Amino acid sequence: MGIFKKKVNDFPTPYTVKAAIAEGGVETRLSMLVMGLGNIMHKQVAKGLLFLAVEIMYIVFMVTNGFHCLAMLPSLGSVEQQEVWNEALQIYEYTQGDNSVLILLYGVATVMLTLLMVWIWRGTVKSGYKAECLDKAGKHVNTFIEDVKTLGHENVHRLLMTPSLTFIFGLTVLPLIFMICMAFTNYSKIGNHLVLFDWVGLDNFKALFDSSSILGSTFWSVLVWTLIWAFFATFTNYIFGMILAIVINRDGTKAKGFWRFCFVLSCAVPSFVSLLIMRTMLQPNGAVNVLLRNLGWIAADSSLPFFTDPLWAKVTVIVINIWVGVPYTLLQLTGVLQNIPTELYEAARVDGANAIQIFSKITLPYMLFVTTPYLIATFTGNVNNFNIIYLLSGGDPVVDLSSTAGSTDLLVTWLYKLTIDKQYYNIGAVIGILTFVILAVGALITYRNSKSYKDEEGF
Amino acid sequence: MAVKRERSAKRVRIMNNTIVHISLAILAVIWVFPIAWVVLTSFRAEKGSYVSTFLPQGYTLDNYTRLFSDTTILNFPKMFMNTLLIAICSCLLSTFYVLAVSYCLSRLRFKLRKPYMNMAMVLGLFPGFMSMVAVYFILKALGLSEGGLIRLALILCYSGGAGLGFQIAKGFFDTIPLAIDEAALIDGCTRWQIFYKITLPLSKPVIVYTVLTAFIGPWVDFIFAKVICRANADYYTVAIGLWRMLEKEYIDSWYTCFAAGAVLISIPIAALFLFMQRYYVNGMSGAVKG
Amino acid sequence: MKKYVSILMTAVLGLSLLAGCSKSEQSVPKDGEVESIRLMVWAPSEDQSKDSGEWLQKCCEAFAKEHPEYDIDFVYGVADEATAATQVAQDAEASADVFMYANDNLTVLTDAKAAAKFGGIYEEAVTSTNSDTVVDSLRADGYLYGVPFTTNTWYMFYDKSVFSEEDVKNLDTMLEKGVVSFPFTNSWYLPSFYVGNGCTLFEDGTVEEAGVDFSGEKAVEVTDYLIDLMDHPNFVVDADGSGMAGLRDGSINAMFTGSWDAGSIKEILGDNMGVAALPTYTLNGEEKQMMAYAGSKAIGVNATSDHMVASIQLAVYLGSAEAQKLHYELRNVVPCNEELLQEEGIAADMLVNAQNDTFNRTSILQPFVSKMANCWTPVENMGKGIRNKTVTHDNAKEQTEAMNDAMNSDGI
Repeated sequence: MGIFKKKVNDFPTPYTVKAAIAEGGVETRLSMLVMGLGNIMHKQVAKGLLFLAVEIMYIVFMVTNGFHCLAMLPSLGSVEQQEVWNEALQIYEYTQGDNSVLILLYGVATVMLTLLMVWIWRGTVKSGYKAECLDKAGKHVNTFIEDVKTLGHENVHRLLMTPSLTFIFGLTVLPLIFMICMAFTNYSKIGNHLVLFDWVGLDNFKALFDSSSILGSTFWSVLVWTLIWAFFATFTNYIFGMILAIVINRDGTKAKGFWRFCFVLSCAVPSFVSLLIMRTMLQPNGAVNVLLRNLGWIAADSSLPFFTDPLWAKVTVIVINIWVGVPYTLLQLTGVLQNIPTELYEAARVDGANAIQIFSKITLPYMLFVTTPYLIATFTGNVNNFNIIYLLSGGDPVVDLSSTAGSTDLLVTWLYKLTIDKQYYNIGAVIGILTFVILAVGALITYRNSKSYKDEEGF
Repeated sequence: MAVKRERSAKRVRIMNNTIVHISLAILAVIWVFPIAWVVLTSFRAEKGSYVSTFLPQGYTLDNYTRLFSDTTILNFPKMFMNTLLIAICSCLLSTFYVLAVSYCLSRLRFKLRKPYMNMAMVLGLFPGFMSMVAVYFILKALGLSEGGLIRLALILCYSGGAGLGFQIAKGFFDTIPLAIDEAALIDGCTRWQIFYKITLPLSKPVIVYTVLTAFIGPWVDFIFAKVICRANADYYTVAIGLWRMLEKEYIDSWYTCFAAGAVLISIPIAALFLFMQRYYVNGMSGAVKG
Repeated sequence: MKKYVSILMTAVLGLSLLAGCSKSEQSVPKDGEVESIRLMVWAPSEDQSKDSGEWLQKCCEAFAKEHPEYDIDFVYGVADEATAATQVAQDAEASADVFMYANDNLTVLTDAKAAAKFGGIYEEAVTSTNSDTVVDSLRADGYLYGVPFTTNTWYMFYDKSVFSEEDVKNLDTMLEKGVVSFPFTNSWYLPSFYVGNGCTLFEDGTVEEAGVDFSGEKAVEVTDYLIDLMDHPNFVVDADGSGMAGLRDGSINAMFTGSWDAGSIKEILGDNMGVAALPTYTLNGEEKQMMAYAGSKAIGVNATSDHMVASIQLAVYLGSAEAQKLHYELRNVVPCNEELLQEEGIAADMLVNAQNDTFNRTSILQPFVSKMANCWTPVENMGKGIRNKTVTHDNAKEQTEAMNDAMNSDGI
């Protein structure tokens, strides 16, 4: 059971918070309250003052806004909009009440900021302790300028990762946590809970797992189709793209650039344009059926049921997805392919290997090694591939009239219909979470056991 | 005997090449066909969204001129310039994020490395549009939801999650032998210099892919842009405009213009690809020896 | 470095979250004083563009002239009527004071508590110049939430050289004479047959608990009729613009749509364009009237507006007779103001006549209660099922009952 290995710290250091509390001097222990004190007393004045500034800003923020936001979180607001008829002016006057959406969002943001602050605090305590130890041992304590210089070398990962991480936290993780919280509320059009809503705990989850409810049965069938779709979409694109990349890249092919351009042209036109056009062309009276009728391949008043028969619709969607996805796969795999050292190929040819052996013993393993994380990422990306299903089939055909999902609906398009069209935000959030749980477990297991994760330099 | 084998080997090669080229041609036709249809539609003289004939009966340039002259329902030139600006900026930012993150994850070892990789994998599993409203309010709290700063907001949104898409670039960096880095370190380079001067130039094919996909993003997204731009028509992107042309009130007279708009959008993207083609160099032998 | 950047993040977030909610005093200029205010107005882009005559700007400036006690700074934004309500509901504080929306989104506004009610003299100004039905389309719980400026419904356009005025009174007569195209798979159009035969939605459209009644013999009869209609050689389905294309190449002689297509149809048929209210259809020997869904488009006022009085006055002005007349002249928007409809030039316009005839006689008010959102997909699927021949006479009963159940369920 490789997942549950005992946690091994790959980066041991003597400067931990525990050590700081146990063995640090008075100034280090005081640093726990007044951040930066330890640094100031041990010759790192600029750094210490910076830490202090951070602490002051945090306290100011919490006093002015943060505590209020946190206080509102349990109740999510209860004041309704007040309306008063003003006889003199002949108008209704409104006083705005609480808006639960904003309260929830600001509350979650404050919680996250506080957690961030705790993490910073730990860092400053460790830094103070380190400064104290180095100073007492008589070793050199970095000046501020030297600290900044390490950003170019030992700590370059801090420099390069921070901008990216900031935006990921602000624009992806924070909204995500907000969405997860929504699943535990009754934020939905049902019962008119769009402005003021409350925590309801696990009620929504119960509704989903109740298989006698429409929602429950829809969920499982949509999930199964989503997994099937993601599997086929990923692998058909990958294999087809790889074959195409190899064929174009081989020595005998002329005008490589031209061929690549032809295929990539189809991703230059925005996908929603090409998908909408294809959708129109495949309708019962669309261009394709008209053409087939004219050619006499099908009877005069019948049409191929591209989007009207469930099985046909599923196959059509997968086939069209090949058209959409292969150019992207082609682009990436070409880059990877071109990076295979040509010496390997030359050596193999000298040894008398034929094309198939070269492919299966050199090209394929190399590609799989480099692209396994990409494959997994594409699989999960296809699970959430909104555009193609929404624009191409819209989820059609709908076989079960009472359910909210059609037979080609993925979890994500079904989610869209539930949240944007019907405004059942909380149910949407629940479905999002469940999808995530099911897929995350599978993806993480596969990923962590894959060679590229375990043994990265071992190529 | 040797000559015969040589000749038949040559013949086999010629036959293989011919088969390959014919198959490529057929596939290329299939792939280009819908695009050709869009281009034909953009020149079509008959209005309306439905055609009973495959090829247009009449051709005209009106659809293109109308995009630039008729601003009743949308101001196409302005939208185009907005989107071009946003695409260029977010493309540069995204590429930087992806390459920076991939380099760190591939070459350096630090405590947050494995947790970050797991988190990135897992964050992609959530659908993006659920959090649209939250993102709007976050941007509003930062003061980016009005006026010219809307463009900045869009740039941040489109490039924000780029650091999560490091897989292919990291896989690529993993195959660059560590020996190169070690040689440079011995010579006294800092890691930042290694990143900038050695790793980047070696990664051209991966840069091509990253730049291209990051550039395409803002042109095709209509959901997010609408949520953030709301009523500020001056800062609309092209995708919003194109989407509007498909509404029932406009589709009949604007459908062919829609096709024309789509063609105009594909021009910068196709041009970018052509420009980046030259970075697809065959093979990388000799990098270690040098 | 991470620490230094998180400083920045904390600072920015902290400063910005300092914004709190505030209630501003509704101020009214005292006599002689001029109050300087800023009003944000949202309208579709055609109402603001130079090519279409800048209706919005002209009306707003006329309003400013009529009210010298205000010194108004107008800020215009673009929001088309179908999506304005959703945008205002998303963030009412940052939205326009006055905006134009379609009435079927009224509950979106009321659920988000974003629309202001009209009362007193302003309500009277609206009710005295518009018919009761139009005003009802903007009432929720008896309160008025907007000033109507046009009706919004669909009716029939036909080729006068093929159909006479008598012919177009009955659908079956038309089918004998020429080809008719109908948006069969569009759930805004299809229910017209069902409603014509007695099916009801929420009783009169406002009683949400009563639910939808598309069940029983009356509905199954219609399903059977529609299946036969589908088989008729002169009946074609209008989907993806095939109706217009058919008019263009002459293969279709009549289609059902609304005023937005009038311009294009006029171009195609010229003087042969005929417009009429919905025909009747013959079901088991009896004539039943097709009933369209009708609504209106209105000017609404934001409940969070800082200048409520001026906003309400502006809204009433934008829906007044002068503004509607200008709208008609510049963009051919069919007015709904009763006096205006008596005027010569307008009364003679066949489009105006057909639209208002439909509104008054051959339509029902589209319900805009929350549960109406469940009623679209099941009907659309019935239409698609009949077209695809998965719904036949054999299973018409079950399918109709299934459709009724679906329309009454939340899907949870």
